Amino acid sequence: MSREILYLRVRTEGEHVVLESPSVGLFTEAAAAGIALVAEAKAGVLTTLGRAYELRVPEGVAGLVDGVLHERVQAPVGFGTALYRLRPLAGALYDSEDAKSKSPSDGALVFRAPSAGRFWHRSAPGEPALVSVGDVLEAGRAVGLIEVMKTFTLVHYQPAGGLPPRARVVRIVPTDGAEIAEKAPLLELAPA
Amino acid sequence: MFRRLLIANRGEVAVRVARACRDLGISPVGVASESDFGARWLEAMDEVVCLGPSASRESYLRMDRVVQAALQTNCAALHPGWGFLSENPRFAALCEQHGVTFVGPPSSAMEVMGRKAPAKAAMRAAGVPVIPGSIGLLSSVDEALACAREAGYPVILKADAGGGGRGMRKCFDDAELRAAFVQASAEAESAFGSGALYLEKYLEGGRHIEVQVMADRFGNCVHVGERECSVQRNHQKLVEESPSPVIDAATREHIGAIAVRAARSIGYVGAGTVEFLRADDGSIYFMEMNTRLQVEHGVSELTSGLDLVKLQLHVAANGRLPLAQSGIQLAGSAIEVRINAEDPAQNFRPSPGTLAAFEFPRELGPGTIRVDTHMQAGDSVSPHYDSLIAKVIAHAPTRAEAIETLLRCLRKARVEGVSTTLPLHLAVLDSQAFRAGEYDTRSIPGWPVPAR
Repeated sequence: MSREILYLRVRTEGEHVVLESPSVGLFTEAAAAGIALVAEAKAGVLTTLGRAYELRVPEGVAGLVDGVLHERVQAPVGFGTALYRLRPLAGALYDSEDAKSKSPSDGALVFRAPSAGRFWHRSAPGEPALVSVGDVLEAGRAVGLIEVMKTFTLVHYQPAGGLPPRARVVRIVPTDGAEIAEKAPLLELAPA
Repeated sequence: MFRRLLIANRGEVAVRVARACRDLGISPVGVASESDFGARWLEAMDEVVCLGPSASRESYLRMDRVVQAALQTNCAALHPGWGFLSENPRFAALCEQHGVTFVGPPSSAMEVMGRKAPAKAAMRAAGVPVIPGSIGLLSSVDEALACAREAGYPVILKADAGGGGRGMRKCFDDAELRAAFVQASAEAESAFGSGALYLEKYLEGGRHIEVQVMADRFGNCVHVGERECSVQRNHQKLVEESPSPVIDAATREHIGAIAVRAARSIGYVGAGTVEFLRADDGSIYFMEMNTRLQVEHGVSELTSGLDLVKLQLHVAANGRLPLAQSGIQLAGSAIEVRINAEDPAQNFRPSPGTLAAFEFPRELGPGTIRVDTHMQAGDSVSPHYDSLIAKVIAHAPTRAEAIETLLRCLRKARVEGVSTTLPLHLAVLDSQAFRAGEYDTRSIPGWPVPAR
């Protein structure tokens, strides 16, 4: 049985992102502190009049859960109640040694996969590819999809770990639908 | 009595219901849209649940969120106020389904009164006088012609699902009715998805007289006299008074009994208002029943000394009406004006903004002044919702004294920062036509004001 999906509301507070409840209900199955929340990630369940809605993270958001603001199971919340505080993902997933990204080839910058799975160039069959060689990327731009256990998650460009805020795509490394490992190179980039 | 109650509304009525809750020891819980959240009037509540964005359909009209808000704040009952979901039988049923007492009539009574033809048919069956015309919906043009001849021309064809003047055709003879029937049916079909029509004798002007009723769950029902609301603009009431200058004691008893019969016939519970049209020849016809508390209820509270909201809560909690008809004594004259944030000089254009000053003096006599409002100086009038910012009600032994009391208060009132209907009210109250009680729904006595 698939649940109806509701996207969390987003507010920024300095460098933090606050995710807010989109409706009135009982909030449960909260994502734990330390978990990375990116676009389309599941972030709990909200029950309104007995109907359970799956809460998801909207496009353009990526961060680590700093604190869950309503840890109680079935916490009553209203529209706009803050549910999560996220700290920026930079310096977390992408700060590891290999993500410092001095290239497989000579000096190119490399954007790497946030998780293992199957990498897709387009958001749906028949749709144009999300990026092409020559495109200039900015933070948050969707560059592909990673499929893990039938769940598709958009991959957003994050200018972290030495990558510039604006970068030009030099090469798309995996072929469409290729299996990739975590931190596998996805894009070779040049500063734009 | 309930321990906690959700007030599923905003602004003035939310504050009014919260006051009655406090008097009865009930803890009031409020709701708010995103833009209302944090508004000063919410200080009247013990807790507030934010429902959604500013647009009413995403907040105050979201039935699932409102009922969920009641459940998660442990409210045993819900008061719908007026407007929004107050006359929605599906909403009343949803509350009951989730074990939340809806402060209002059973959904079946709302269902009957919610549509024109069934309401009229039910009232006719109960022996309540209705405007002559078709019994229920018309099945053919021949039936329409027969009805029209019996009622007498001119007649008006109305779409059962219509509203706001759409789907209405006035006809003066058989030929016009034949032509209009086909057109009106097609028009109604395309506009409302239903071509169903009914027909009534066309009565021009007339006066809007309504009777306040109150019923409990044990078959007891009383009326609290009439209110006259003929000072209107585009069917929006501007001034309300009780008693009506055209209703004498015998007529009051007569229409009161009719209103009680109407309410009883549909198993009504709680506060309701039966609206009548008083034609120029003095005949009284049922128009509709409002199955909720009304904006102008304060007028009847002043003449009767009753607190209608407390009574609503009392009967909703399975209490018996504490008094019989003989125990209701009406005294004096009460007149209410609605202060709306609209500019009467600019064709009543809404005038949102921040109130720089907001004061109504209450001690100028000769009678007493009651001000029902949720606002004070420094507050903002929201552009998202209706423009009512206050109701000022005068009460005095005679009508002339009530007019004088209200005029003294309004002349010294300080309302700055937004345009309001105050100048209009001064003109109405001071007009010869209003003072003489000679006015009807066609025009506003004393208005338009001469150019300044």
